[in-house]
Amino acid sequence: MKEAKANWISERLKPSATMTGTDCILTSEEVVEKETKQVQKRLNLSKPELPNWWSFSDIKKYLYRLKLWVWSCFLNLAFVHWITIQIRSGLICILRVGPLPQHISFIMDGNRRFAQYLGVDKQSGHEAGALTLLNVLSACKQLGINTVSTFAFSIENFNRPREEVEILINMMTEKLDEVARMAQNRENKFYGLRIHVVGERSMISKSLNEKISYIERLTNRGESMLLYVCFPYTSRNEIYHAVYNSAESCKYHGKSSGDTTVHTFNQHLFFGEASSKCDLLIRTSGHTRLSDFMLWQIHQNGVVEFTDTLWPKFGFLEFFTILLRWSFFASLQRRELADISLSSRAWRALKRGLVPSKRKIVRYDDLPEPPKTVSVALKG
Amino acid sequence: MTKIHSAVMKDHDGNWRKDQRDRQRVPAITNGRTNPAKPSINKVKNSIESMALSPPDSDVVKKKLEQNQMKGIWSQSGGNIEYLFCKVLLGVLFALYAGIRYVQYEFNRIKILVLNLAYNPSNSPQLIRQDVMKLEKLPRRLAAILEKKREGDVGGGVSGILNDGSELVAWSVSAGIKHLSLYDYDGHLKRNVDDFRDNVFHKLSKFYDPKNVPKFAVRIPQWNKVYFNSPGSEASESKKVLIEISLLSNRDGRETIIDLTKAMAELCAKNEMKLSDITMKLIDTELIQLVGHEPDLLLYFGPSLDLQGFPPWHIRLTELYWEQDNDQVTYSVFIRGLKKFADCKMNVGK
Repeated sequence: MKEAKANWISERLKPSATMTGTDCILTSEEVVEKETKQVQKRLNLSKPELPNWWSFSDIKKYLYRLKLWVWSCFLNLAFVHWITIQIRSGLICILRVGPLPQHISFIMDGNRRFAQYLGVDKQSGHEAGALTLLNVLSACKQLGINTVSTFAFSIENFNRPREEVEILINMMTEKLDEVARMAQNRENKFYGLRIHVVGERSMISKSLNEKISYIERLTNRGESMLLYVCFPYTSRNEIYHAVYNSAESCKYHGKSSGDTTVHTFNQHLFFGEASSKCDLLIRTSGHTRLSDFMLWQIHQNGVVEFTDTLWPKFGFLEFFTILLRWSFFASLQRRELADISLSSRAWRALKRGLVPSKRKIVRYDDLPEPPKTVSVALKG
Repeated sequence: MTKIHSAVMKDHDGNWRKDQRDRQRVPAITNGRTNPAKPSINKVKNSIESMALSPPDSDVVKKKLEQNQMKGIWSQSGGNIEYLFCKVLLGVLFALYAGIRYVQYEFNRIKILVLNLAYNPSNSPQLIRQDVMKLEKLPRRLAAILEKKREGDVGGGVSGILNDGSELVAWSVSAGIKHLSLYDYDGHLKRNVDDFRDNVFHKLSKFYDPKNVPKFAVRIPQWNKVYFNSPGSEASESKKVLIEISLLSNRDGRETIIDLTKAMAELCAKNEMKLSDITMKLIDTELIQLVGHEPDLLLYFGPSLDLQGFPPWHIRLTELYWEQDNDQVTYSVFIRGLKKFADCKMNVGK
């Protein structure tokens, strides 16, 4: 077993040992480019065939495909592509000078429905979803958001057909590997990313666990952004682990049970410093429930955004609007919670002195005396 | 009652009358004490002002600014001008967003007005039952988050929240829902449980025959107490209740889980319990005893979703429903929530 492990690791290390050269950097980026194109090809972004005009659902699907096709043709024009990239980076530059959430999480829902709409297999749907995630992550990275967590795989997802589970897991490890490699490269937009895979790791096979630990070790020097991949995760399971670990530390490490507070409990949760709060949770594809994700983090005063878009279609513009909305309301709240600064207090006092305000608090004593009361019955 | 349960119950606070959580609560950003989505020029001004004056959160920008400062006076101007320019543009974007948002707000308000006209049961249970009969399924357990409004507002203060709660009870009884949990952050409902029972009784006797008012039970999990019907009525006639109402507050959320952890840790340390005995199932059964079952549908009557510390263990698969920009407890939100629940499909991971 040990030999196998050693072999595996040395195999894995080979390409990364040559990572210092520029040729390898190019290849890793080229691979991503190539894959993007492949996925797009497989997603059938060619002109869709005419539907059966008598079936409503067929026509609906046709129109959806037609819309996607026209869009992709438009976006593929060189100058349009260039302009969108410029606008995108401009918008990011603007947004990042304002307030930003520290911890964002995503529930990536709708990959399979997307595939169904396009009439392709489920795997392509998941691949398209992975591409969207990469896009969103790069936007987060440019914005300078500290922590991002994604719900990659729920413990309940093991109930899906076995082939699909395998495809999902394989794809995820592949993508993680890619991202980890990109995070090593100083030139790449993902440089400095740190990956943590959290969840009930005892439920996955040993070899897979080793692979994941290797990926984590590759990126453990990253400082600019933390990416938590929840795999296989449920929030109840996380809370259970925290309860168990707290009890364990009381029993074996001599901590008194009375010292358990929300703060110490948070340290036993999976998300490190971000365990106590998630500022923004985005769930795509229209379901309005949390599905056992981030319950502990979101239930106090986090913002949950539900959108009807399917995850593979979740584009930058939508993400931007959600963040802008967050930023607007966050600055409003900060203003309301903050103590008013000295200068504005002075200004207000001055204003009050010069221009008397319209509404004053009225005391009963200040009122003028009412007229004398008389009684008709007792007159005379 | 199990050992764990009794240990947790012992921990629960005795000076509950002094609980002043509402004052310290920081609401979700989209849902302040005064509704931030309500149009006002002042709010836009405040928001832009605070954005312009506060330093950036983003690490990338912070680093850039630091670098600029290192370089000395002449070279720093370029970067700083860019920074200021971005701030100005963000201010413009904020103003644009506020404009769009406020148009949306008015639209939503009109929609809510129309809906309130369309759905108006005016104390008649037959109409409610008719509405419900059209639905395929109903949630077994319904939960709602209520808020105490400011004392001076319409429907504000403690009496307002008691009234809202009892209205919800009457609607649920008429719809045929057997379990209802009412959550309010500070626990006003449970602190005024006698008034609440009176209110419910009064409301139900408006809906139904005053001689034969439906029976109800009020449960307060935090103190492990159950009350039947209104305060004056006899306990013997309390056998068949039509609805069970549990009253929850912020205390039943994180803190109860912490209390449970403490109790388990202590039992483990004293060797009265093995570490391996702590399982998901045990925690679940204990929390069901301490707080209650997981609701199937959670209604929120505020302008945008704010869970306000609703017990985290209990919102796992709960369907959430709220009406954008609504700020009142109305029947239209209630029935539309039930409709949404009837239409939704539960996958549970598959």
